[in-house]
This record gives sequence, structure tokens and C-alpha cells, in this order.
Amino acid sequence: MNDWQRKSPLDWETYVNKMVKVAAIEKHEYEGWVLTVDPVSASIVLATFLENEKVSVSVVLGHAVQEVKILKEGDDGMKQRLSGIFAPEESKAYSPEELEKRKNDLKTWLEANHIPVTEQGESGRTLCVAGVLTIDPPYGPEECSSSNEIILSRVQGLIQGYLEKQQ
Amino acid sequence: ATMPVPVPVGVLRLPRGPEGSSRGFSPTSPRFQALLGGDAAAQGVRAALRQRYLRGLAAAQGRPTRFCLRAGVQVDAVFGAADVEAVAIQVDALRTPLGVQAAALLRCTDVLAYSFFL
Repeated sequence: MNDWQRKSPLDWETYVNKMVKVAAIEKHEYEGWVLTVDPVSASIVLATFLENEKVSVSVVLGHAVQEVKILKEGDDGMKQRLSGIFAPEESKAYSPEELEKRKNDLKTWLEANHIPVTEQGESGRTLCVAGVLTIDPPYGPEECSSSNEIILSRVQGLIQGYLEKQQ
Repeated sequence: ATMPVPVPVGVLRLPRGPEGSSRGFSPTSPRFQALLGGDAAAQGVRAALRQRYLRGLAAAQGRPTRFCLRAGVQVDAVFGAADVEAVAIQVDALRTPLGVQAAALLRCTDVLAYSFFL
């Protein structure tokens, strides 16, 4: 492990949204805006904006990083732009009432199928299935989170089928 | 009538993992330490950084990617997938001097950097 890999997540976070120059082994150099640093491998993900609206993304593996120099800070506009690069596609916007109905309909259906579900979080907006999987608005398969891959895939399949029947 | 004799099911004994502990990850790794709990602020940052990284991997999937390997070697391939512990990267259509490999694994220790366009 090199010094860069030994840093803490809070340290790595200080580089996010900054323009940096990364010196890597074998005299390679990379420059770009830091999108993120992977906490598992300490790999640095850099973005460079090209003229034709394209974005070039470079990932420098953590084990190859020798030195990272901050060149400049990104302003709020740049931060917005960077956070949007990998953002998942915007789904249809639902009103608070529509979201509440979707949540209640799904909760009722899960309970009817003998799947334990509770409400959590602020104003109960998150559904918690069997204590191991959470579903955020707008309560589709993509909004399911769990550390158990098998349960995740099963529940995503169930919700997918449920939503298809609703159409 | 006699009952049919149940056919014994073969037991698959998997080899021990690379770290020898068979848990698939090292108990001293930062990842496992974070799993044990501790600093909530650091863990929150860890999760946010990791989530962005995983979204980045998802964005790379299926895109032509240039891999910068050791000793000045560069290869082009289509990004397939990465594994959890950053041991290897799976690629499709890897262009090598010997021809195009339909599918291949690149060891992360051999890769210095890779890039793709969005």
C-alpha cells in the first residue's frame, strides 16, 4: 500500500470537485476534475471536458498513484456539472401525493404477500422490507437497497412484476 | 415395496480464498474495519465516494476503453465489469498484437489507468 492508499476517506474527500494533477508510476501524468476516489482501491476518477460536449473519464488505479497536486477548486457550477456526469437518468417526477399513494399501494401489496414491511426515515418515506432492504421514492426496482444480493434481486423482481401488472 | 435409495448429493468443497481465511476478504482491510463500525462520519463519506465510483463503473460498461498497462503497453477494449475487491477488470473485444480476444480479464495490478468517453 502506498501513502495515497493509506489516506482516510475524509482525506480523499478533500480532493473531490478539484482540478488536480496526478503523478503516477512510470512517469505517467493525468490531469482532470476529481469525480471521486474509490475507498476500496483508492483509484482516482478524473473528468476532462472536451470541446464537442464530450467528457473524457480517466481512472487512475490507487496502487499506481505517487502524488496528487491540487491545481484549483471547482466553483458551484462545476460541482453541479460534475455531480451530473454519472447521475442516473431522471425518472418521471411524482407529486408528494402520488409518491404517498405509490408507497402505500406497494406496502399493501407486500403485506398481502406476507412480506414484512415497515416505514422508516423522515415522515416514513422509506419502506423497509424484512429489516434488510430499503425502498426509497419513487418505489421502483432501482430504488431498492440491500447488502444482501439475493434478497435484493428477488425483491427487485417482485416489484418489477408488481409495477408491470399495475400498467 | 421398498423405498428408493436417495442419491447422495456431491459436496463441493471450495478451495481456501487467497487470504487463507476463506472469508474472501482480509479482516485487517479498511473495508472490514469500516464494516465493524466506528467513525460514522468517515463511513458516510466512504459510502458516498464508493457510490459515485460504482456509478462510474456502470457508466463505463459497454464503452470502448483505453487501458494503460505497465511498461508503456496500451490496449483498447470494451469495458465489461469490475469486481468488488478491485482484483481484475473483465473486458470484451480486447485488441492485442496477437489479435482480438473476445473476452479477457485484466489484472488490476497490471493496469495503471484506463479512460473512456461519455
